[in-house]
Amino acid sequence: MLPAFMPPDPMMNFLARCLRPLACLAVIAGALAAPAEPARQILVRAALSDDAAQQRELITSLTGRADAALVALLEAWRTDALFRYAPAEGTALVVQLTGPKDDEGRQAAVRIDTGAALVDAAGQPLKLAAGDLKAVEHTTSLRRAMKAVADLADLADPDPARRFKAVQTIGQAQDAAKLAPLQARLEVETDAGVRRVLREAIALVQLKDPQDATRIAALGTLKELHTLASTDFIKRALKEAEEARNQPVLTAAREALRAVENHRSFVDFFGTLFRGVSLGSILLVAALGLAITFGLMRVINMAHGEMIAVGAYTTYLVQNVFGTGITLPFFGLSLGLPGLDLTGGAYQTYFLFALPCSFLAAALVGIGLERSVIRFLYRRPLESLLATWGVSLVLQQAFRLMFGANNVQVSSPVYLSGNWTVNDIIFGWNRVFVVGFAILIVFGMWLVLTKTPLGLLIRASMQNRTMASCMGVRTERVNMLTFGLGSGLAGLAGAFLSQIGNVGPSLGQGYIIDSFMVVVVGGVGSIGGTILSAFGIGGIDQVLQQYLPVVAPGLGWVPGIGGFLQNLAQDAAVFGKILVLAGIILFLQWRPAGLFVTRSRSLED
Amino acid sequence: MTGASQASPRRSRIELTVVAIIAVILIVVLPVLNAQGAISNFTLGLWGKYLCYALLAISVDLLWGYTGLLSLGQALFFTLGGYMHGMYLMRMIGELGQYKKPIPDFLVFLGWERLPAFWEPFSSFSFAVVMVFLVPGLLAYVFGYLAFRSRIKGVYFSILTQALTYAASIMFFRNNLLMGGNNGFTDFKFILGHSLAEPATMRGLYIATAIAVVLAFLFCRWLSRTKFGLVQQAIRDGENRVLFSGYATMHFKLFVFVVAALIAAVGGALYTPQVGIINPGEMQADKSLEAVVWVAVGGRGTLLGPILGAVSINALKSWATRAYPDLWLVILGGLFVLVVLFLPGGLVSIPARLKALWGKVRRSPEKPAAAASDTQPASAKT
Repeated sequence: MLPAFMPPDPMMNFLARCLRPLACLAVIAGALAAPAEPARQILVRAALSDDAAQQRELITSLTGRADAALVALLEAWRTDALFRYAPAEGTALVVQLTGPKDDEGRQAAVRIDTGAALVDAAGQPLKLAAGDLKAVEHTTSLRRAMKAVADLADLADPDPARRFKAVQTIGQAQDAAKLAPLQARLEVETDAGVRRVLREAIALVQLKDPQDATRIAALGTLKELHTLASTDFIKRALKEAEEARNQPVLTAAREALRAVENHRSFVDFFGTLFRGVSLGSILLVAALGLAITFGLMRVINMAHGEMIAVGAYTTYLVQNVFGTGITLPFFGLSLGLPGLDLTGGAYQTYFLFALPCSFLAAALVGIGLERSVIRFLYRRPLESLLATWGVSLVLQQAFRLMFGANNVQVSSPVYLSGNWTVNDIIFGWNRVFVVGFAILIVFGMWLVLTKTPLGLLIRASMQNRTMASCMGVRTERVNMLTFGLGSGLAGLAGAFLSQIGNVGPSLGQGYIIDSFMVVVVGGVGSIGGTILSAFGIGGIDQVLQQYLPVVAPGLGWVPGIGGFLQNLAQDAAVFGKILVLAGIILFLQWRPAGLFVTRSRSLED
Repeated sequence: MTGASQASPRRSRIELTVVAIIAVILIVVLPVLNAQGAISNFTLGLWGKYLCYALLAISVDLLWGYTGLLSLGQALFFTLGGYMHGMYLMRMIGELGQYKKPIPDFLVFLGWERLPAFWEPFSSFSFAVVMVFLVPGLLAYVFGYLAFRSRIKGVYFSILTQALTYAASIMFFRNNLLMGGNNGFTDFKFILGHSLAEPATMRGLYIATAIAVVLAFLFCRWLSRTKFGLVQQAIRDGENRVLFSGYATMHFKLFVFVVAALIAAVGGALYTPQVGIINPGEMQADKSLEAVVWVAVGGRGTLLGPILGAVSINALKSWATRAYPDLWLVILGGLFVLVVLFLPGGLVSIPARLKALWGKVRRSPEKPAAAASDTQPASAKT
């Protein structure tokens, strides 16, 4: 099928032959893959040649000699940065100018053939001015040849990720001239991912083939691969086939398109599911602390968000202590924290240390808050709402004064910043981690509440404070510890959220309303309800975000506000959130006390 | 604090005289002094703003102080009123905007050629006035109906109103709502044909605001003395008892909620032309809470308290944000904690407290510190 429109090119055959050992070499020897010196000399020969055809041939012969430096030289040539230099005696040279310009506009020169600095007879570095030299010329066809070399250079790159990208680019350009190198590469390629994308690229290029059989075969391959990237190309092929009334191709294209669309809805569905679960975990982690302070203790802690922020800032501090240290302004004083100057793996472990630190820091702040303000307000819930809001303002301003009004930089450790792509569904490690972490702290909390003496005291005090007190439980102390536990969980949430969102003075504000919603919907006092409602709200939010843009164009029929709704629904994230809040208000019509009601015989409860 | 309704006629007469004097000062004396040049336009503008906030504070107090409903959504109704009036003011800019187009600048910026349909009728002042009442009132009615029907009360009500405000604010921050997005409405030029750059126009707006505050005060005073007002206060002190006495508390609460929303909306509508800008920042949750601080500091469950609180805290804010910009939030938050912990009756309870203290000093045994505890509003139960 190939030779039908392309004469057998000796160069290409050569390429195919030399690529094989080269690829093996590339895999084994990494950067040493290409013999750089000869390639440079070929380049110089081409640059000095006056015959355009010979130049083209020389350049094309460089194809497949993967060397980033060589590609950079070609790029320099293309942008008039290579110069022809004829010394007084000896042969002409090709040079590149580097370094700063001196007063007369002269720069240090580098010889292209050796890569060494240009020196005069005495061995002193020679400086040249760009204005005095003649740039090496290039024609359109030569530039095209250079581009082809540059594109294909990546095909043999030792790094599979770069090969992947190069193949993808070539495939999407659908350039028939690249077909042979792609097929040659497919024969030697060992990486499964790259093989797959190679097959896709070959099929994409073949979609442009004039022969029906080839196109149908290509469509068959695409159907089998059903990659998302090929959608547009299949659609184009479908349109062309429709215009040409080419029934067999049309059928094949439709089938391929259906396979791709099926795959897309599969990916969308599971992607949404995963995002919903991870958002639910975030909400859960943020709301768990509140489930204790609000749910069990009935304290409306509006500073809960700031407890989260305390955790996030503690993570930031620990990160800095593991790094180069940090100096904080502290109400007029300067508070210096020395750095451990760790790097690499040791530095990366900072996050593991940050977790307990965040817990402790937030727990301490929480205990301080309980002792100084909240303990006076246990019988006045509305007042505790107002007082803790006052505290939240003070804390926010304290963050601003200590850490600045802007967001601070919390770097993700490597083990949290990658992702897995399974079947086109992206699983970010930080998201996977937060899901795992949510499970872990729910389990931990369950253990603390049901299997430890402290948990027993907590439950006793929360269920009937007076009775517990009569039995000798020091309820004051239990209150303090319970509030500390709830705040510490918020701090732990902060450490996590620092990996997902920005860390700034108003970080907590973004979570406070969501957290309260989660607890209210779940049923105040019910940890199980909190878990269920977090995942419910997270899931519904993500589903709305995913499908609102699909539904939005269909809202035009609503009388009066149709256009308005269409317009608004484009902001899926915001509109979804509003719908969730509206849904919660309606949900509370049906179940005013939330999903799980804690039964009580008290009238006012 | 329910003393007002049970006070002797003489005390009531004194109170009314004080109110009349303050009203005359606010409505007549200040504008006259401004016209004479004794008070700068800037100061009068500040007072206009304070009084708009006083309306917001009255609406919070009517709900929280008199009915026991801590609404954290009053800033939403305030801002909605402001937006409805702002739409009229935006239409009045005409072609004097940056782009010299007959539609508001931000619409030109968003690529609109014509006015969206829902903007059309706002060229009429009377329509805008109707909407100032209708939109917040309707929202309050629907939300209140849903909330009170399922007996959502106490902190749950607070949290839900806060969520409502939050939802509305993120909506108003979007450009796609076609309400000016982030920047809201500003650069107003005319109101009813009068230029807003004229001191006389601003004076007129100020007088209107002062009258509105006095009217709202008198209305609340009247309402708190009717049977309705007594039921309302009974709901605050023990809703279940009222319910078991055969009153449908839901209707009472719904009525008060809507009335409070309307008072706030009027405040917002007067706020927009005087301050010259309305944007979604005004309806964020902390603005509502700020209004609650004014009421708490002034003295909730009293009629003068919220006005006093709104004016004094905002005057403090104007001063502190210039003198100590970094510390303003600390001051506000600290003030809040201190008032809640140590002065639950607010500023207006200080005379009574001093009196009680004076009584103690004089060691008069028949007057223990009853006055102080008397001024504490019975806290609403969960």
